Amino acid sequence: MIEYLDVYKAFDAPVLSGVTLSVPEGETLSILGPSGTGKSVLLKTTIGLVVPDRGDVRVNGRSVVSASRGTLLEIRRMAGYVFQNAALFDSMNVYENVRMGLQDEEQRSLSQREILERVCGALEDVNLDPGAVLRKVPSELSGGMRKRVGLARAIVGRPDILLYDEPDTGLDPVNAAAVEMLITEVAAKTHVTSVVVTHHVEAALQISDRVALLDRGRLQFVGTPEEFRRSEDPLVRAFGDREAAMAAATRLMED
Amino acid sequence: MSAKVSYLRAMAIALHVLRGFFRGVARASVGVARHAGGLAILVWNSASALVRGQVAFADVVGQMFAMGIQSLPLVMVTAVLSGVVTSQQGGYQFTGSIPLYVLGSVVASSVVLELGPVLTAIVIVGRVGARITAELGTMQVSEQIDALYSLGRDPVPVLAAPRILAGMVVLPALVAIANGIGVFAGMIAARVSVGLGSESFLYGARMFWHSWDMFYSLMKALVFGFIIPVISVHMGLRTRGGAEGVGRFTTSSVVFMIIAVLVLDAMFPPLFLN
Repeated sequence: MIEYLDVYKAFDAPVLSGVTLSVPEGETLSILGPSGTGKSVLLKTTIGLVVPDRGDVRVNGRSVVSASRGTLLEIRRMAGYVFQNAALFDSMNVYENVRMGLQDEEQRSLSQREILERVCGALEDVNLDPGAVLRKVPSELSGGMRKRVGLARAIVGRPDILLYDEPDTGLDPVNAAAVEMLITEVAAKTHVTSVVVTHHVEAALQISDRVALLDRGRLQFVGTPEEFRRSEDPLVRAFGDREAAMAAATRLMED
Repeated sequence: MSAKVSYLRAMAIALHVLRGFFRGVARASVGVARHAGGLAILVWNSASALVRGQVAFADVVGQMFAMGIQSLPLVMVTAVLSGVVTSQQGGYQFTGSIPLYVLGSVVASSVVLELGPVLTAIVIVGRVGARITAELGTMQVSEQIDALYSLGRDPVPVLAAPRILAGMVVLPALVAIANGIGVFAGMIAARVSVGLGSESFLYGARMFWHSWDMFYSLMKALVFGFIIPVISVHMGLRTRGGAEGVGRFTTSSVVFMIIAVLVLDAMFPPLFLN
């Protein structure tokens, strides 16, 4: 279970202003919201990549904010994080990048063949041909392929929590759909707790048990996809409805 | 009345300037304190990682290759030129006034005590230090450092400690090579420019030679080999602001490293040559 408790964060300006939200074990929650509203920052607080100025983040009851170095490492090891721009290690090839998703203890307990099988399995799960990409370095891959390798690295260690920072942005429709299916499949198979930050409303509504809408650092809506669709809130409507979005964009331009 | 207004206006301007000055000093002090704290934490964490055996030997060897073997040609060229120039200028000044064999001592002392360690350190700042800051800075702005953290790994044993250890091993070795090559090049240049034979050159070099000099030279190299990777890693891991930030932090890093090398170099004679 992930709990965000009255989380505040400011850089030059406030980014998160008192976000309180909980994600029960096994749930898939999508966080929607306009660009620059703190979605990625909120996601990063989950494993201590960003430390809140106020408030707390708890993972399975353990505080991330006040965690010792050892506890923080444990929390991070039970989470898989898919970065917005994949964040693959440039100096490593695809095999080495995905292998990094396996913890050292796990790597020591597995034979080289078993590690290779795990890496190849993760690559196949994200619709990549291991034979074609395994020895390539990130600079030889397209943006979409890099993103899927980043996803493979996140899932290869079979984490309890998966955090996706815009997993389908920059992918073609087929691969975006494949990633969305994968998120659903992984969640169903492993009962993993997932938090997905995305701009794609339809995808979020399909893959999520609940949806949260973040605007200017505050939660404007939390509910099921059905409740999201039925909501009369103008901001929610603007996100869920193309015409309402156009109207909101026109108002923004006029302002 | 108008004189009083002018006086008050001048006072207000003076106060404004003073306030700006003290604000600037305070901001600079905070910046220095932050860097000092960051450097101290980095050194402590790197030392802890080394003591705990968390640093992979292969990573250290890889860094030693990048810092040492790949820098060797440039270090050798610099050493040859420093030896040749010292010898030629000394020969020009000594001819007709001082026995020429003294040139051997001047070249050997200049190269071993000063030019060898400092010029090698400057070469390493430009060739290795800048690369480390740019590399880690790019990793920082492209979230690769965050990715390491997210995978439950600490960047210090993986990225910082191998570079610091490699620097401390490689720089003394490079300086030892630079010293030898520099003195040899100076000897050849003395023969060509002022006709000083090798035996006379070596006689002069031995006459004023202290065995402590070589130890002093390698001690300098060890300190430079420590400070260059520490500053470059620290600046790399602090990089913010995308590609522009990588450029800015790399430039600052090179400036800090050169200043650090020159300041430490200036501290050596009063500490170890008196």
